[in-house]
Amino acid sequence: MKQIILGALSALALTATTAVAEYPEKEIQGIIQWGAGGSTDTVMRSVTPHAEAAFGGTVVMQNMTGAVGAIALNHVAGSTADGYTLLMGAENPMLYKVMGLGDKDYSEFVPISILARGTAVLVAHPDAPFNDYAEMIAYVQANPGEVKFGSTGPGGLPSVVNAMIGAVEGELDVTSVPYDGDGPALTGLQGGAIDVMPAVLGAAIEGIRAGNMKVLAIMDTEANAQLPDAPYVTQFNDGYSTYLPWGPFFGVFVPKGTPDDVIATLSDAYATGAQHPDFVQLMQDRGFSLMAISGDEADAFLTKWQQGTAWLLQDAGLTKASPEEFGIARPGE
Amino acid sequence: MSAFADFLIVFTQPQLLLLVGLGTFAGVYVGAIPGLSVTMAVSILISFTFSWDVYPAISLMIGIYMGGVYGGSRTAILLNIPGAPSAIATALDGYPMAKRGEAGTAIGVTTVMSFIGGFVGIGVLALAAPLVSDFALKFQPRDYMLLAILGILLVGSLSQGSLVKGIFAGALGITIGAVGRDPLTFAERFTFDFQLLEGGISFIAVMIGMFGVSEALLQLHHVDKDAVRQKISRIVPSLSTVKKHLPLSLQTSTIGVTIGALPGTGGDIAALMAYDHAKRVTKNPSRPFGDGAMEGLVAPETANNAAVGGAFIPMMTLGIPGDAVTAIMIGALFIHGLNPGPMLMIDQPDMFWFIVGCLVLANFFMVFFGLTGIRLFTKIVEMPRSVLIPLILLLSIVGAYAVNNAITDVYWMLGFGIFGYFMRHYGYPLGPVILGVILSRLLDDNWRRAIISEREDLGRFFEGIFSSPLSLVLFISVILIFVSQTPVWGWAKARIFKSRKSA
Amino acid sequence: MDHIDPEHHDGTSDATPGGEINQRRPGELVFAAFLVLASIGLLHSAYGIENPFGPNGLSAPRSIPLAATFAMVVSAAIVLFKTAKLPLDRAETLAKDILPPMVLLFALMLVIYGALMQPLGFLPTSGLFLFIAIKLLAKRSLLWTATVSLGSLIVIWLIFRIVFSVLMPAGIVPEAEFIQFFRDLTNGGSTS
Repeated sequence: MKQIILGALSALALTATTAVAEYPEKEIQGIIQWGAGGSTDTVMRSVTPHAEAAFGGTVVMQNMTGAVGAIALNHVAGSTADGYTLLMGAENPMLYKVMGLGDKDYSEFVPISILARGTAVLVAHPDAPFNDYAEMIAYVQANPGEVKFGSTGPGGLPSVVNAMIGAVEGELDVTSVPYDGDGPALTGLQGGAIDVMPAVLGAAIEGIRAGNMKVLAIMDTEANAQLPDAPYVTQFNDGYSTYLPWGPFFGVFVPKGTPDDVIATLSDAYATGAQHPDFVQLMQDRGFSLMAISGDEADAFLTKWQQGTAWLLQDAGLTKASPEEFGIARPGE
Repeated sequence: MSAFADFLIVFTQPQLLLLVGLGTFAGVYVGAIPGLSVTMAVSILISFTFSWDVYPAISLMIGIYMGGVYGGSRTAILLNIPGAPSAIATALDGYPMAKRGEAGTAIGVTTVMSFIGGFVGIGVLALAAPLVSDFALKFQPRDYMLLAILGILLVGSLSQGSLVKGIFAGALGITIGAVGRDPLTFAERFTFDFQLLEGGISFIAVMIGMFGVSEALLQLHHVDKDAVRQKISRIVPSLSTVKKHLPLSLQTSTIGVTIGALPGTGGDIAALMAYDHAKRVTKNPSRPFGDGAMEGLVAPETANNAAVGGAFIPMMTLGIPGDAVTAIMIGALFIHGLNPGPMLMIDQPDMFWFIVGCLVLANFFMVFFGLTGIRLFTKIVEMPRSVLIPLILLLSIVGAYAVNNAITDVYWMLGFGIFGYFMRHYGYPLGPVILGVILSRLLDDNWRRAIISEREDLGRFFEGIFSSPLSLVLFISVILIFVSQTPVWGWAKARIFKSRKSA
Repeated sequence: MDHIDPEHHDGTSDATPGGEINQRRPGELVFAAFLVLASIGLLHSAYGIENPFGPNGLSAPRSIPLAATFAMVVSAAIVLFKTAKLPLDRAETLAKDILPPMVLLFALMLVIYGALMQPLGFLPTSGLFLFIAIKLLAKRSLLWTATVSLGSLIVIWLIFRIVFSVLMPAGIVPEAEFIQFFRDLTNGGSTS
């Protein structure tokens, strides 16, 4: 594989400008949007060594946290578009504009690879007085305000899932308790501080297997390979099929204006890296769906994701500015 | 008996033995340099050990962790610059000892006490992990909030000069901790519309500035004064010294394990709470606290090393990190194809006993490296100040930058360094500032979680406190400590005394 | 040596902060007044924090900052009041005991360092800083100063840049190309 890429590279070198003839001619910075030990960090640190092997470059990864990832995004957006600075991020920037968190999103970037997509799952404390999605809805309606949902701030996965539930079932009166990430929230759930948490499957899967939390519904249109017996939400209400499948994602990006051959080299490298058996296994174990898409396919995915999610939040009244202001079209228009 | 065999793996395979040793050695030095943190070292090791087997990778990480927690005390004692937040309390009495030329004794006591603390932590992990993690899970947001308030009350024992100045410093710390976008609602706090401020101020940058830069600037006052000659003849403390402090060290180790096992609190808070505890229970310290009391070294150093074992408890039993380092280790286990979580202990008990084995070994290596490298370390303090001061300043800059790869942190570090310089001159204690920054998020987030859970109803909030034994105990402790530390106590005593007299 | 540096009270240890109990040091009153003003400013700023997604109730993002800055204002005011009542220490002067020229010079150098770090790069800025600082303090020969500062800079650079891959601002130094050159050498001259 290395030979093929090298061959392709040297062929490109003949036609392209001499400045990028030997890309990469120095080490590449990979800026991880989230802190060490988080999902994004784990995914990036496990795929990048395989990608490095595929194109013979060195990627030095650094965590740059703060302001829900906006610090890292702005840093990479402001760097030279030469392929030596990569942004390794998650889905959040797609909502910065409507959430009033910043004026940049992935539209300033070219996706190198959208690596994987997560699936959301509704989990509850094992002693919660309901055992599946339908019972939960009934219980919430009978006891308004008493059920505590974990959340991770506006625009986070729980807020999107809540917006979805609101759109399908009508407004639910629950108390949203904010946490700074799904890890701490799931800890709170196990300790009984909250009753229900919409979380990404990967974060909850070990707790589910051990019986420390129970699945109310997987937010998907089909059963999940990791938890084949768990109910999925369209079994209870078909209204969700409008919005699903939906989930957070991880991707590697470079600023717009990066030379095409550099993008091609990096995309190929990450596509190859993502197919490494170790990485495939890791994604499967953590309940992520491997995507590894790039180019037009990735652009289309991003646009669709942003339209769907931004308007869902807008309709739930959770945004600070209408998606319309930023030219984000309503899905289906 | 397979548990014992797994425990012994690390002792019997020379390669693993070597890696733990290497890690511990590196950890001591990483920990000693302010700005190089164990968290950083371990996350770099993830990429570095990517293609290794899981056992060698974990051995190296545990070595670094154990050594690093201990290493922070070195620079705290020798230079008054804590290498890590968990060593702040160590500087309070360790540095005065070094000023007397007793750095050798201080380091010796620190090392042995870290060893004892480390063992208590590991012992609890090995024998009672499921019990402790069940207990740790019981902590509700309101309990974390009460714990944070308990922590803030430490301001009283950290400010020896003036209590009012200490309170100011603590409140300043809480405010600094709140700068940036609020993680729960994304509201901008104290950002004054600067994008630079949205990410907040790294508390490591504040710590490096306040302790490192301001200390270096103060040292400029006596560049030409000769450095204090350090007596390093007697390093290993005598058995009677160890025996004398054993009861205290066991108490403070317990504090360390408990705080370490709570998700969201770590060795830094544990060490400060232990210091406070020592001040409270020690009737006749060897010297007054703050002037080089041995007890002031024993308490934080046992606690922060005991917190290491504590942090592994929720990690091994539930897959929940006990602190930042164990969070990264969980990621490392994932990458190596394991599934850390509640099932790990059942599916792969070998991993648990292997980790316990590594910790024990690392603890032994820590004593070894701790007691052998002292001569080299004390040479650092005896270096001419004219070289030492510029180096401290440069290391402070690099260290602040390294925390988050942000030049903004360097500016903050320099700013707080100069501010800290004035605070020192005018008698404002610096410890409470760092305490405030550490506790700011814990207090803020959990207060809001707690009151949101009760739907903004203070009545229901207090009902919750009084109906839970854990919350009630914490609440009563808060009240007792508050009363005993503020003038209210003296005033009330005087009143009661007076009324008896008149009666 | 019962208490550290009794003649100067300059707070060489955090546990024994400087300051004098019965006297006011030069500049102390100004500092206390500054803290009161700054605290009031922060209190005002805290009051302006709005909850973007809900009411400003007990759980609002402003509640803890408001409480903390209020405590700052009150404690700073008490300190100012107490300080104003103390007699001034006539034995000390601002220029000699609080801000001697050397401290001012170093503070200035740090500010310049901060400004140059980004455009010029970490290596040249730090090299210059170490050289000037050590020369100023040690008053030794140029060669000695250059050796010491360059030597320690290389050690720091190796630890942070190579071992810990902290990417300090490169500025005008083509650091990454330089490292890649060595990497290629060790990889047996492969050019990829």
